[in-house]
Amino acid sequence: MNADAIAETLGGKGVAELRRDGLWLDMPAAKVDEMARVMRDAEARFVTMTAKLMDDNAHVQLMYHWDIDGELLTIKVVVKDSAKSIIELWPAADWVERETRDYFDLAFEGREETPPLMLRAGDQRGLFKRTAPVGRGADPAYTAKTGEEAR
Amino acid sequence: MSTVIPMGPYHPALEEPYKIDVVCEGERVVGSNIEVGFNFRAIEWLAERKNYTQGLALVERVCGICSNIHTLTYSQAIENIAGIEVPERAKYIRVVVAEVERLHSHLLWAGVACELIGFHTLFMTCFGLRETVMDALEAISGNRVNYAMNKPGGVHRDIVDPAAVIAAIREVADVTAKKLIPVLTTDKTVAARCVGVGVLTRDEAIAYGVVGPVARASGLTQDLRKDAPYAAYDKLEFDVPVATEGDVFARVVVRALEILESCKIIEQALEAMPAGPFEGELFPAIPAGEGVSRVEAPRGEVMYYVESDGTDGPSRVRIRTPTFAIMPSVQRMVMGQTLADVPLIQASIDPCYSCTDR
Repeated sequence: MNADAIAETLGGKGVAELRRDGLWLDMPAAKVDEMARVMRDAEARFVTMTAKLMDDNAHVQLMYHWDIDGELLTIKVVVKDSAKSIIELWPAADWVERETRDYFDLAFEGREETPPLMLRAGDQRGLFKRTAPVGRGADPAYTAKTGEEAR
Repeated sequence: MSTVIPMGPYHPALEEPYKIDVVCEGERVVGSNIEVGFNFRAIEWLAERKNYTQGLALVERVCGICSNIHTLTYSQAIENIAGIEVPERAKYIRVVVAEVERLHSHLLWAGVACELIGFHTLFMTCFGLRETVMDALEAISGNRVNYAMNKPGGVHRDIVDPAAVIAAIREVADVTAKKLIPVLTTDKTVAARCVGVGVLTRDEAIAYGVVGPVARASGLTQDLRKDAPYAAYDKLEFDVPVATEGDVFARVVVRALEILESCKIIEQALEAMPAGPFEGELFPAIPAGEGVSRVEAPRGEVMYYVESDGTDGPSRVRIRTPTFAIMPSVQRMVMGQTLADVPLIQASIDPCYSCTDR
């Protein structure tokens, strides 16, 4: 897997890091649809996408995980409110885009519809985003302490 | 004229809730739509509000069959964040439990498939063997379902009587090789129900991102135990059964052959397991960072993403289960098939809705 070549194709601006759990490309401004095309040309396999709310509770970091010959490549981009859908090239991304809409109320452009997956029709979207401001206190059973206290 | 036939949320084949609306023209399926989420428990959300020890007990309940795989993958992701090295003996113990769990899962599935096909005597054979496997799991861990074996840095328990486990595994291998596989591959009833039914081509398997035995039955060779070895898999000899037909029958054969490979792996691992510590550090400190782990579960690849903020609990946990990746492809498999084959086709992917819904 040539990280530099992939990074250059995706715009060249980003940070690549090789860790024991794979290669990570942090490219906040990378174009998602372009990434999907590059991965198809690289004969990658779409593993899944991880969404994570940023500290401002407005932006969402999307991590696209790809398998190339057994090696894991994670490409991180940052979006707000919406992202380009990749299901036209990667039908495998259909359910995870719907699930991400359920959890983070993120729209995916280019889809005819994004029906709920885990939630039922009519449920309020954005479970993770909505509860983020109250943090771990959202769970009354939360008992974790800081690392130092726990030890 | 098309007719929409809703199946579920209670399913004709398995005791888990999901819904498939099948669009038929006569007996032929011309479309379908799947609904999941009936078991949604927000486990990712909950895991972000538990400490790592509580999280282990939580993720073990993602699945009622491959529960061990979830604690293994979660532990490995945490180990990747903290740079923790696992003791050698623990790596072998992890392999043994993971493979015995694979036997449990594959035999359960084979039994259910036999009953669906209408082959009740073979169903009894499969479930009899499964009892032997579950007894072995109970002997190792004290439990028949949630084994509580893994933790970040090692395993909770040693395998104190490897010879008893080997004896059980040899019995499984013997019956599988002499009875299960010959009957499954030569019986006319099995062939009539399975050959050419529910085909997923290699290209379709790639596009849908399917994993595990379903992918391997469609000609893909992917298996993380070979492609990205973890635990002690890189030290063990085994083959990855692959078929090219992509039909229900190919999925039956691939899983049956995988039972024999798992038996080979377990026996090797128990014999090669080095002496030494197995537990690792109690409550290791997890620094801020992020890590990913992938493991070949019985149904295919499981992936965990874990982010730590330096406290004793994760700030983000992402769980991608195999059925989540495979299930959408059923909509492709049932196209053009008869309505009567829909339950068998969907069962052929060995679905787990508990995993899918998390």
